[in-house]
Amino acid sequence: MEEEDQQKILDLVKELVNRVLSRNPQNPKPSISSNPNSPDFQNSLRYAIRILSSRLTPSIAPDAAAIAESIKRGLATQGKSSQALNFAELYNKFASKTGPGSINNKWAVLYLLKIISEDTKVAQNAPNSTLLFPNLGLNELDLSNESRGSRNFKRGEKGYDNGVLLVSKDPENLREIAFREFVNLVKEENEVSEEVLVRDVLYACQGIDGKYVKFDANVDGYALSDLIKVPRATRVLVRKLCELGWLFRKVKGYISESMDRFPAEDVGTVGQAFCAALQDELSDYYKLLAVLETQAMNPIPLVSETASSGNYLSLRRLSVWFAEPIVKMRLMAVLVDKCRVLRGGAMAGAIHLHAQHGNPLVHEFMRSLLQRVCSPLFEMVRSWVLEGELEDIFSEFFVVGQPVKAESLWREGYRLHAGMLPSFISQPLAQRILRTGKSINFLRVCCDDRGWADAATEAAAAAGTTTRRGSLGYGETDALETLVVEAAKRIDKHLLDVMYTRYKFKEHCLAIKRYLLLGQGDFVQYLMDIVGQELSEPANTISSFQLAGLLESAIRSSNAQYDDPDILDRLRVKMMPHGTGDRGWDVFSLEYDARIPLDTVFTESVMARYLRIFNFLWKLRRVEHALIGAWKTMKPNCITSHSFTKLQHVVKLQLLSTLRRCQVLWNQMNHFVTNLQYYIMFEVLEVSWSNFSNEMEVARDLDDLLAAHDKYLRSIVEKSLLGERSLSLYKSLFALFDLILRFRSHADRLYEGIYDLQARTRASSLSSQDKKQSRRQTRDKSSEVGSWLIDGRKALEQRAGEFLQNTGQELEAISKEYTVLLEGFLSQLPVQQHVDLKFLFFRLHFTEFYSRLHPGT
Amino acid sequence: MPREIITLQVGQCGNQIGMEFWKQLCAEHGINKDGILEDFATQGGDRKDVFFYQADDQHYIPRALLIDLEPRVINGIQNSEYRNLYNHENIFVSDHGGGAGNNWASGYHQGKGVEEDIMDMIDREADGSDSLEGFVLCHSIAGGTGSGMGSYLLETLNDRYSKKLVQTYSVFPNQMETSDVVVQPYNSLLTLKRLTLNADCVVVLDNTALNRIAVERLHLSNPTFAQTNSLVSTVMSASTTTLRYPGYMNNDLVGLLASLIPTPRCHFLMTGYTPLTVERQANVIRKTTVLDVMRRLLQTKNIMVSSYARTKEASQAKYISILNIIQGEVDPTQVHESLQRIRERKLVNFIEWGPASIQVALSRKSPYVQTAHRVSGLMLASHTSIRHLFSKCLSQYEKLRKKQAFLDNYRKFPMFADNDLSEFDESRDIIESLVDEYKACESPDYIKWGMEDPNNILTEEGNAKGTVDPKLAI
Repeated sequence: MEEEDQQKILDLVKELVNRVLSRNPQNPKPSISSNPNSPDFQNSLRYAIRILSSRLTPSIAPDAAAIAESIKRGLATQGKSSQALNFAELYNKFASKTGPGSINNKWAVLYLLKIISEDTKVAQNAPNSTLLFPNLGLNELDLSNESRGSRNFKRGEKGYDNGVLLVSKDPENLREIAFREFVNLVKEENEVSEEVLVRDVLYACQGIDGKYVKFDANVDGYALSDLIKVPRATRVLVRKLCELGWLFRKVKGYISESMDRFPAEDVGTVGQAFCAALQDELSDYYKLLAVLETQAMNPIPLVSETASSGNYLSLRRLSVWFAEPIVKMRLMAVLVDKCRVLRGGAMAGAIHLHAQHGNPLVHEFMRSLLQRVCSPLFEMVRSWVLEGELEDIFSEFFVVGQPVKAESLWREGYRLHAGMLPSFISQPLAQRILRTGKSINFLRVCCDDRGWADAATEAAAAAGTTTRRGSLGYGETDALETLVVEAAKRIDKHLLDVMYTRYKFKEHCLAIKRYLLLGQGDFVQYLMDIVGQELSEPANTISSFQLAGLLESAIRSSNAQYDDPDILDRLRVKMMPHGTGDRGWDVFSLEYDARIPLDTVFTESVMARYLRIFNFLWKLRRVEHALIGAWKTMKPNCITSHSFTKLQHVVKLQLLSTLRRCQVLWNQMNHFVTNLQYYIMFEVLEVSWSNFSNEMEVARDLDDLLAAHDKYLRSIVEKSLLGERSLSLYKSLFALFDLILRFRSHADRLYEGIYDLQARTRASSLSSQDKKQSRRQTRDKSSEVGSWLIDGRKALEQRAGEFLQNTGQELEAISKEYTVLLEGFLSQLPVQQHVDLKFLFFRLHFTEFYSRLHPGT
Repeated sequence: MPREIITLQVGQCGNQIGMEFWKQLCAEHGINKDGILEDFATQGGDRKDVFFYQADDQHYIPRALLIDLEPRVINGIQNSEYRNLYNHENIFVSDHGGGAGNNWASGYHQGKGVEEDIMDMIDREADGSDSLEGFVLCHSIAGGTGSGMGSYLLETLNDRYSKKLVQTYSVFPNQMETSDVVVQPYNSLLTLKRLTLNADCVVVLDNTALNRIAVERLHLSNPTFAQTNSLVSTVMSASTTTLRYPGYMNNDLVGLLASLIPTPRCHFLMTGYTPLTVERQANVIRKTTVLDVMRRLLQTKNIMVSSYARTKEASQAKYISILNIIQGEVDPTQVHESLQRIRERKLVNFIEWGPASIQVALSRKSPYVQTAHRVSGLMLASHTSIRHLFSKCLSQYEKLRKKQAFLDNYRKFPMFADNDLSEFDESRDIIESLVDEYKACESPDYIKWGMEDPNNILTEEGNAKGTVDPKLAI
């Protein structure tokens, strides 16, 4: 009986195994496996027997009532209360059954049933599970089947709730059960499975609405619809993950917007480069999404049985996956926001600001982005500094050109557009860039020069870059700087060379100094001599044509004739606009035609300043000329050689005192004018010139040269009292000049009178004399235009006396006025703060004559 | 229109210093002995036509008249290597060739006799120039031709060319050695009168001082005439540099002289030059700066007029005007510094009756003449101490006159015929009043000088200002 029982059990087991195996529909060879002699069958059988003969026991206590209760509660919680009632009734019957034929081990049966029922439930969830004994862990079988391509067969059903047997081995299985129950709970809560959510999130991240995750305009972002029942944590997670989608939408939107706008509106090359760079980043992102999507479809292969593994792409995993893209995407979105209204250099600058980030990831990302974005900009810089081309149709470059006349090309033709200057290019560098390109354009347009190309090539070679496009990029600011510095150095040098040698800048400056600043004394003197007559006429009667002729003859007669004809050719007479009552003196001036490209230095305003200086110096010269002229009429041998013995001594005394007064006054005026001249020559012209020459030597670019020239001119203007601030001084100076000119006419009249008197005394005595003086008499007769009648010596002397008295009084008046004016002038000198006039004061005051005159002051 | 200057070289001394002057000018302008421009003289910038004109064959010909009453010196020139330089039409040697015998009256008288010939030459030269500035007369005041004939020429020029400047380089006799010309004081006095009345500017070249300078400064134990004459030519050429190298200022003689001579009668200028070298004479080369040069120029030992002033008088002597012509590479800023230093040290006394200051003209140096010094300077100054020179002349004259010595030589000539020596007295008066005027310039009240005391007018001032026209004198 015992043996029979044993055989019976064995047969039963055999039968069971046979059934189980044959029921497996996925078994490719059911006949074979059901074959009791097949190795599969044998294996399974052996396995089953081993399990049965083992002493494995469930981890829970063998209490039938407890199991039943658990089942019942399970049914109740599943909402199957009728079935639970049913089960309770059945269980009561089953438990009450005793006697033969009844089941001894009731707990075991119940437990078995419960396990099976749970297994079936799992099998229902799992798409391909029909196994009756999933928990039996047919892994060995599984492994043995690997070679037959059924490797992925059971992956899907490796849920969290498998391995009851394994779990039952775990001493802490209570916790596991609790966890399992929690999972069950979760699964019951979720209407939507995680896989679906993951897929939706992936969709959302490509800017596409998923089944559940949709773009919600109200919250401005992707979200799970509220109707779908998912745990809050999941909802939040999804929401978080979908930020990427939101950012993506933004970036993508910007790109397509820009691209759409492109032909019509000026997005600019930098904008385009930015879009392209963004696009590239997005393609990387697409790749990532594609990978993620495939991963979401395919389960991950598990190496070991023991590793607890599940759905490869959970939401949490996604959040890890997305960590990097989201940073980048966030940056891009920020940039997109920032750059929406920006263009060109400003855009690059804005991006650059964001690149200053401690995070190496961000930094690296921004660097590569900037490299792309800046490449058009750097290309512009390159072609600007090496070719002088302003390839900037979208006005993105920080150098802006505007069409101007050639003469103002340098000053106004190009300027820096601060808004377009990216912050990674410093202001000095930008200035340098501006100037270099400007120099090239200046050379090209104004100097008609081609030599700069060699200089540019040389510069590029020296800087180690080529003249090709696209050889520079962001982050190579040093390289850029080297290139710019090299180019600037060479181009500037070349420009200065062209200015100095080909356009003879120095020679022209010198010519201007010689002619407009009256440095060529003999020329000026001769000009003064021959135009003097003409210029005394009213201004409107003077023909500038005639003056030009006189200028020409002044050149021919002075050493100016040996000057370069080109220089002489540029010297012209200029008549300033005149009002009524103006004399030729007031409107006459010289001008110098600078011509291209020198008119960049000698602009109209500069020439206007030269003109003012000329007018001042010319006036000073005229005054000096007048004084010398006065001296000539009173020169020693004219006075000393003549006798006035025949005059009464009262008259003679008068004559003497008038002459002396005239001479002394002349001496004062001459001292003033000569010393002013010396001051102008040494302290103003020569010193300024020698400074200017020195600065010319060290000037490295045209700007330096312009500045030096400007300084030179300004120093002359200031020191010659022509500046704004010396206006009152200048006025009193001119009052002095006018007074001196007036003095001259008085002095002339005085001497004329004296010579006339002389002639008359002689004539009156001549009647009684021999004809020894006949020659002199005939000469003097010509000047006998009489205010004095020859009516006797007495009347003559009386008239002489009156004349001398009058002239003496006039001279006295002039002398007084002169003293007042000069004192006014001198007292103003030391208080001039802005310009160093101490030299002038020093010269005028060399012997402290004026302070001796008035010890009080 | 180069503002030409015609040079008249009269008498032995005048021709000698004139010759030296032209040598120097030729060297500075790169003109060779035959008047042809040297090949290297291409730098330009100089004005040759003030003193030269070009003949049809481009030869440069000095605007110079060589006049003497005896042929020795002029023959010497005509036989020298420079014989082709001069225009031979401009050489006048009297037919008899007997000279003036160191007699002023003879020179003057002969001058009158050949006036026509000489004035023809002068007129021709004057017509050949566009805008004649004036004449320069080189002569000595002690001999016969230079002084007598020179005096006559001065009067004639003053009359004929009254608008033109007349400048003289007048060599005053050496007082230190006994001259072979015993009538020197007479000659000097009579010439001085013409220099006072008929010249616009007299550059006094005192042979005494020139000798002293040659001995002391150049360490020549027994200086020759040639050596002292080279000093004179240096001064002459230096004083004309601003005319020959045009610059901003002082481009003509009148401009140069006007500031130097504010009062018409005080037109006697002293000169000083530093650093001095004599041809081929190795000299100690000093460092020359503008300040150095300007300071040395103010030292009496460098001034080419002897100072006969006693200490007290010397301290009262004042400069009426100073013009320093600085040649060479000069930084204009140094000029101011030097002036400042000179003023601080009170190195110079100026007149008190009017403003005055040291004028400085910068002039280029000839690129063709190599000098050892970087900077050289010439001073032209009107200084009241020159009156002592005149006083000396006067006192020597008085001595001689008291003895009535040697007057017979003069009586032979019309001016002094019938024992009419009023010319002497008149000259003496004029020189005396000149001395007085210089003295008055030392006082701050010069302006009122001679005005307040009516008695003075008749005695001193009357003569000073209202001199008797010599031609009207009876």
